[in-house]
Amino acid sequence: MIARIGQVWERATPQVKRPFYVGITVGFVLAVLVGLGVANTSSYFVLPSSLEGVATSQAIWGLKPSKLLMVLPLGAFLVVLARSFVGLKAFGLFTPMLIAVAFLQIGPVMGPLVLCSSVLVGMIVTPSLLKLRMTRVGFLGVLISLIVLVLVAMQLIFDIKLQVDAFPVIVCALCVERWWKQWGKDGAKPAAKMALNTFVLAVVIEFVMVSDFALALIEWSPLLMPAFTAVAIGVLGRYRGLRLSEIHRFAPIWLERRRQAKFVELPDTVSEDRRTGQPDTRREIAASGCVPQLAGVWAINSNADLKPDGLQPLPWVKPTLTPNREAQFAPRIGASGIRPAPARSPIYNSWIICTVEDV
Amino acid sequence: MFMNFGKMFGASARALNPMDEILGINLRNALIQRYNPRSAIERARDKVAAKVALEAAGIACTGTVAVIDSHQKLADFKPARDMPDAWAIKPARGSQGDGILLAVRRDGNTWYKGSGAPLTEEAVMHHIQKVVDGGFSGDSAAEDAALIEPLIIADPALANIVPEGLPDLRVISLHYTPLMAMVRLPTLESDGKANLHQRAIGAGIDMETGKITRAVVKGTPITHHPDTGAALIGFEIPGWKRVLELASRCGPAVGLGYCGADIVLDVNDGPLVIEVNAHPGIEIQNINQEGLKARIAAAGEDFR
Repeated sequence: MIARIGQVWERATPQVKRPFYVGITVGFVLAVLVGLGVANTSSYFVLPSSLEGVATSQAIWGLKPSKLLMVLPLGAFLVVLARSFVGLKAFGLFTPMLIAVAFLQIGPVMGPLVLCSSVLVGMIVTPSLLKLRMTRVGFLGVLISLIVLVLVAMQLIFDIKLQVDAFPVIVCALCVERWWKQWGKDGAKPAAKMALNTFVLAVVIEFVMVSDFALALIEWSPLLMPAFTAVAIGVLGRYRGLRLSEIHRFAPIWLERRRQAKFVELPDTVSEDRRTGQPDTRREIAASGCVPQLAGVWAINSNADLKPDGLQPLPWVKPTLTPNREAQFAPRIGASGIRPAPARSPIYNSWIICTVEDV
Repeated sequence: MFMNFGKMFGASARALNPMDEILGINLRNALIQRYNPRSAIERARDKVAAKVALEAAGIACTGTVAVIDSHQKLADFKPARDMPDAWAIKPARGSQGDGILLAVRRDGNTWYKGSGAPLTEEAVMHHIQKVVDGGFSGDSAAEDAALIEPLIIADPALANIVPEGLPDLRVISLHYTPLMAMVRLPTLESDGKANLHQRAIGAGIDMETGKITRAVVKGTPITHHPDTGAALIGFEIPGWKRVLELASRCGPAVGLGYCGADIVLDVNDGPLVIEVNAHPGIEIQNINQEGLKARIAAAGEDFR
């Protein structure tokens, strides 16, 4: 497993590595916040009815119902982060945030339980409901009554009072509707994936909302949280780069580029590539005449040159350099991921003889 | 090829960072927000309105037999009298090929689908009725228009490399500059549909020569068509210059700055525009293995 990761890492191009570091950092910060939230949870299996009128969020996390409103911007921020930075596909725009708030109102375990059971019931009845050809409002209305039916049934079965506000019921109904729309559009597998994404995102948002960080911000000043998140969302909303999911999607382009760059054909005169990965083009440069001439040396091109009077030092010719200002800006689009060839002196087609031993 | 583009627009090439040549959804949305006004997007979404705009600009579109946008017109319409031998019925606001009915030949007052299933006059009328009632137009249950067009028969050069179905070209352009192109080739597996999600072949086209440089099925590069065995790499799209010309004029004609034109090659009329897309997908980059952002930058966009 570790070897596999190592292999993938070996192959990764800079375009993949850089966002990966950023993603790891963001993920780490989120994990810390979620950890704080989980640590803050005093009890998991508490039922709202056993709290004697105290709101669930206050009893479990110490989050007063009046403060519930103030963590909403934090949820919105996380939704924007998940959508435009990570590229996570979830139902609706702010549905995960609403689900998270619903979870806060019902409880960390009972919340998902209520949601899942109502979505399950919705899934079972929706095909027959759709046959009745109702309007969207009518459909949602029937769903709401059915979800309330489920909740009442749960209360009867568990023989306890599960106090659920009106808000979670609406959220559950919306979830069922979204789920069906997506199922009809993309099929079961993508819809299930999206539902899972939505659920995980909702749980993450739920625990970040009750982490010490969020609670401290709210406690400090009620204005701080909305102002802070408004600025953060504003910055994040301007993000125009690739989403993390797109890095994965387009990684083949960069990998293929680099693979192709390694197999560039060698020039005719060069039989072996002595450098690793890159072709030797120095002879070509030398032949093209754009290199400065060797001055003050003797050039031996044929046997005739070896006669005592035949050998003449090469005359010094001032190299004519034509400045090309634009060259520095020339696009290297095809060269992404390829380092420019290191500057090396070209190979001359002559022997350089300095002493007698050289002969 | 692209180096030439870069030199042509030397100034803008400076802004280019080789690290990000890929156009992501975020940036695409920003471009659409900037260059595609709401009204133009609405126009592009409605096939009839887009066609009117394209024809007004003198762009070659697929022909029109009839547009049925009300029950009045529906009552006056008689398929036996008004329909040609081979036709296509499309909902004006349909998406992803929903509700498209094709007839390839006629025998008396009965038409036949590509699969050989017969279509009686009542069946045709019923389909048009369903389209006009908005049965294929997504969420908006409002009325829709049924667009009836003569069936397009693909250019033999292209038709010979696919087993069935109509290959179509997708050219993405910014203003008047075509940036990147691909051809979608149906396969038996895609059931004759030129839809990449249904395992049709996507083939990247060199913008200068019109030759296929790379062909992909669901992320796997191929060199030959899996069904016909025809060599794809190096295949030259017939009438490529004309395709580019059409594609470059499509967006401005509809009012879109950044758009994807869907073009088919008809056996008689050559390249014809079938649709202009206001939200062209970015998968074309994976098919061409080129970054769109780099090309957009070369076309003079500063991404501010």
